[in-house]
Amino acid sequence: MFVSIVDFGSQWTHRIHRTLTYLDVESKIIPVTTQFSEIKNSDALIISGGALRIGIGGAEETGNTKEYLEKFEGPIMGVCAGQQFIGLHFGGKAQPAAGPEYGKVELVIDEHDDLFAGLPDKFTVWASHNDEVVNTPGFSILAHSKACSNHAFKSHSRPIYGCLFHPEVEHTEHGSEIYSNFLKIVKR
Amino acid sequence: MPFDAEKFIQKSVSETRALVNGGKAIIGVSGGVDSSVAAAISSRALGMNIKCVFVDTGLMRKDEAHRVKAMLATAGVDLHIVDASKVFFEALKGISEPEEKRKIIGAEFIRVFEAEASSFGAKYLVQGTIAPDWIESGSGLRATIKSHHNVGGLPKKMGMTLVEPLHELYKDEVRKIGAALKLPADIYNRQPFPGPGLAVRIMGEVTPQKAQIVRVACAIAEEEIEKAAHEGKMALPWQYFAVLLPVKTVGVLGDARAYGNTIAVRAVESMDGMTAKACPIPPDVLERISDRITRELKEHVNRVVYDVTSKPPGTIEWE
Repeated sequence: MFVSIVDFGSQWTHRIHRTLTYLDVESKIIPVTTQFSEIKNSDALIISGGALRIGIGGAEETGNTKEYLEKFEGPIMGVCAGQQFIGLHFGGKAQPAAGPEYGKVELVIDEHDDLFAGLPDKFTVWASHNDEVVNTPGFSILAHSKACSNHAFKSHSRPIYGCLFHPEVEHTEHGSEIYSNFLKIVKR
Repeated sequence: MPFDAEKFIQKSVSETRALVNGGKAIIGVSGGVDSSVAAAISSRALGMNIKCVFVDTGLMRKDEAHRVKAMLATAGVDLHIVDASKVFFEALKGISEPEEKRKIIGAEFIRVFEAEASSFGAKYLVQGTIAPDWIESGSGLRATIKSHHNVGGLPKKMGMTLVEPLHELYKDEVRKIGAALKLPADIYNRQPFPGPGLAVRIMGEVTPQKAQIVRVACAIAEEEIEKAAHEGKMALPWQYFAVLLPVKTVGVLGDARAYGNTIAVRAVESMDGMTAKACPIPPDVLERISDRITRELKEHVNRVVYDVTSKPPGTIEWE
C-alpha cells in the first residue's frame, strides 16, 4: 500500500508520515504543486493541516489539491485545514471557528462506523485550529466537541473523510487506531 | 513497524561514509542527545576523519562544558572545546527580538565551525538536526514557528556541505539509537536543551549578567525537580527549566521594598517535542524552587511563577 500525503504545511505533516510508517505503510509527503499524474496511482491520499486560513483566502494557495479531489477515486482523508478544504470544495462553509481550540479537547463520537470503529464514545484529542467548516452537503458528522460541531465528517457518496483534530500527534488518544481504521477502508 | 535502531545505525553509518567519501568532517556537539548521537554515528563512519567541536557560547548550563566533555569521553568521543562566549555576547548586544537572536547565534556558530573546519581541512559539517528543527524553522507553506539555529539560523553562504544523519527522526527515536549504540544512559536520556542555549530563556536583550541569573535559576529548578523525581514524588518531566522575564514586580525582603525580576518555571511532558503538556509538580516542590530562587538570587529576583501552558498553544521554550 502506498499513501501520498498532500502537504498543506502543518507542523505535524511529518508526524502523519511517521504514524503510517509505524503502521507498516509506505508514504510520501508531496507539495501541493505536484501534478495529478504523479499521485494518481496512490492507494489513498491524506491532506495535512497547515496555517492556511481556508475560508478566508487560504484555499487559493492549495495548488492542485482541487484537481486531486475531483479526479482521485480512492479514499481521501483531510486533517484540520485539509478537512476544511474538503468541506469547502464540496459546498460547505469554511469560516473562523466559533470556538477555536488549541491543545487538549474532549472528543465525542457521534458515529462509530469505519473511522472510529472500536473506539470509546469519548476520548481526549489534540487540536490546533482557528477555523472550522460547517454545513457540507452530502457529508455526515462523525464527531464533535463542546466548542465545535464538526470535528470529523464523511461523504455519503465517496470514501472521503476529514478530522479537524489531529490524530497523528502523540497526545491524541487512539490516534494511530484512527489512521489504522482509515487504512482498513483503503484495503476494502 | 516500530523504529528499528540497529537497522538505522547500519544504514546511516554507510550513508555518512559514502557522502563524505574519504574527506574530512567536523561536527558541532552541544552535549545534547541529538548532537551526541550524531557524533557517535559519524565517529563510527569516519574514524579519525572527524573532529568533534563543542562551542562554549557563554549561554550554556552550569558546568556544561566540563560535564559534557567527561560524559562523551566515556563514549569514546574526544571533544574539542572552543570558548567563543565573548563573540556571542558581543553579537547579541542590543538584540531582543527572538528570531533575530536565533539567526545571529546560527551565524556565529557557523563562523566558529568554518574556522575549525579550515584548520582541520574539513569540507563537511555534520549536525544533529532532527525533524522538529526543520519543521519549526518553516519553508514554503510551512510557517516559521522558530528558526532553529542549525536550520533557519544558518547563514545563506557557507563553505561547508551539511551532513544530517538524524534529519527524519524525533527525539524518542534518537534516544533509541543512543541506547543501541551503547552510549552512557546519561547522554541519551538527558533532557533536551535548545541550540541557542540560555539566550532563548532570557526574554529581551542577552547580557552576561542575565545569563548568569537564568543559569542559576535553571540549575535550581533542575536540582529540585530531579530530587523530587528521585524521591518518587513526581515523574521526571521531559524537559524542565527556568526563564528570566523582563517583568519587574514589587516585593518585600527583610522589611525593605524590593523591585526585582520574575522567573518562570516550566516543566513539560512530551515524547517528541511536537506536542506537550505542563507537568503537575507537587506544591511543596514548587514552593521549594521558589524559596531557593528568591533567596539565592535575592539581588535580582523576587517573584517566581509556574507556566501551565500546553503546546499548542505555547511552545516548550518561551522563544
